[in-house]
Amino acid sequence: MRSWMRFGIRFGIVIAMLVVPLAGATGVQAADPLVVSIWGGNWKDTVERIVAKPFTAKTGIPVEFEVGGTIDRLAKARVAKGNPLVDLNFTTSHVARLYISDGLYAPLDMAKLPNAKELAREALRSEYHIGSWAYVYTVVYRPDLVKEDITRWSDLWKPSLKGKIALPDFDPSHIITIAALMEGGNELTWEKGQERLRQLKPSIVAFYSTDAQSQDLMKTGQAPVQVMLTVNAYHLQEQGIAVKVVQPADYPGIVGIDTMAVMAGTKRADAAHQFINMVLSKEIQSQLVESLRAGPVNVGAAVPAKLKGQPGIFTTPAEWKERGYIMNDEARAKTLPAWREWFTANIVKK
Amino acid sequence: MRLLLAPALGVLAIFAVALGALFQYSVVAFIPGSLQTGGLTLANFRSVISSQYLGYVWDTVVLSLATTALTLVASYPVAYALARAPSRMVRSWLLVLTLAPFFTGAIVRTYAWILVLGNTVVTWPVPLLFTERGVLIGLVHFSMPTMILLLAAAISHVDPALERAAASLGARPARVFRRVTLPLSMPGIISGSLVVFAWTLSAFPTPELLGGGRVKMIANAVKDLALDSFNWPGAAAFAVVALALTLVLMGGLGRLAAGHEAE
Repeated sequence: MRSWMRFGIRFGIVIAMLVVPLAGATGVQAADPLVVSIWGGNWKDTVERIVAKPFTAKTGIPVEFEVGGTIDRLAKARVAKGNPLVDLNFTTSHVARLYISDGLYAPLDMAKLPNAKELAREALRSEYHIGSWAYVYTVVYRPDLVKEDITRWSDLWKPSLKGKIALPDFDPSHIITIAALMEGGNELTWEKGQERLRQLKPSIVAFYSTDAQSQDLMKTGQAPVQVMLTVNAYHLQEQGIAVKVVQPADYPGIVGIDTMAVMAGTKRADAAHQFINMVLSKEIQSQLVESLRAGPVNVGAAVPAKLKGQPGIFTTPAEWKERGYIMNDEARAKTLPAWREWFTANIVKK
Repeated sequence: MRLLLAPALGVLAIFAVALGALFQYSVVAFIPGSLQTGGLTLANFRSVISSQYLGYVWDTVVLSLATTALTLVASYPVAYALARAPSRMVRSWLLVLTLAPFFTGAIVRTYAWILVLGNTVVTWPVPLLFTERGVLIGLVHFSMPTMILLLAAAISHVDPALERAAASLGARPARVFRRVTLPLSMPGIISGSLVVFAWTLSAFPTPELLGGGRVKMIANAVKDLALDSFNWPGAAAFAVVALALTLVLMGGLGRLAAGHEAE
């Protein structure tokens, strides 16, 4: 009897040793998350709420986020090249060119992205990265602190705005391009706008390095006129700050497109494609527009009436073409260091 | 005994590897629009030894010297009161007020200064926010608690009997201070000045936020190169130049201090 008991116990232990690791392995596999790299704050919260939760409900794949600044995440991706810590990356369209240049992105499998057929042509950035939403950099101002109407880019040069304007210093490409366009050039012949930019210098009170700084400058009235991201301007409006977002009559706003890509070497490429496809769907795009106040990349997405026609919200191919100026990503990534150097030496420096 | 040195040597090795990587990056070519780097070159050093970047170095050294001097002047009376106030309650309150800024982060303090220096609360006769003046005020405020504590420690070691003896021999209070208290508190002045000067050389959030992009110190320029221009080799080269400069300056000041102590 005892020998049978001993046999039973040993048998049980052997079975447990075999079954438990197998069950564990199966469990780990099923729970193996899709890791998404994105900016923190509202960006991550919105994507988590609007995309990740329904994605997990639909596929059973949990989603984890790695959050950080644009360049922090790029640096991390670089050191983890070949064995990425994340599966899917969100970043700006021109910074994505840096990922591509270093072989950090895998080519997209368009057969796995059926929703991409509904996208605006401008959202298909390359064979590696695809747009998720759009916005523009345009003129934003506080009518309670600036008495005259601003309706055009050229209004920034009015002497009455002396000491009132703030510009981004981390990326002066928007104002450099606008100045070049005003002088008959473009971002590739940006030198044409240099003299015009020098004339703007007395009007600039501050340069901001982050979105938060830009919003603080506007809230406190330190810089009541700014070249600003529309997403931030709409966010300020929601907070009760009465800012006016200008649809410039002379030249369009400078479009920014945030993009998604699958990391090279990821083992979750299929899940990453499913996630991207979900972001591109009409339903999710509509919710993203509502929440982020950014423009949809899917031209079939419904847009709330109050946002229709607003700067940065493009709903038709014609609007994409006429109401926004899209810079060449590659040229922008290549020329940005030169732009910054010139801008810092000639405009920022007193 | 040698085993006890192992953790320190381990930390040293990690720093050496990081510095090695910095040096390595500083001598490879930057390719605009790419994370790839080119072959070996000294071009990065030539770029950062231009007038623009030397201007940042100059601004940083001038701001650091001014911060050190103003912090010393502003902190000495507080430190003296902290060490010598007859009332224990006054000393306790002074200590609490001195330590209070340590309990708020540098970013929070700097944002508070944005409100104070801007024309939102007070209308200042001269612009302060986004100017060197504003950055200097922020740096002095940031440095004062440490300077006060170092000075107070030094002043508390000065025997009051010496000051009383000088006074009994007919020296007026100002002369007692100049000839007795000040020289005897020199170790605190030297150590406080070295600490404040060293960390102001590497100041980042204060000039970043209070300078409004117009006032740039070395750390801000390195960040601009690395994070905004994606020019990591250039940033590494400027960091190496800044490191060398800091070592030279600190070495020089250290020698001066050692010479003074020997006297």
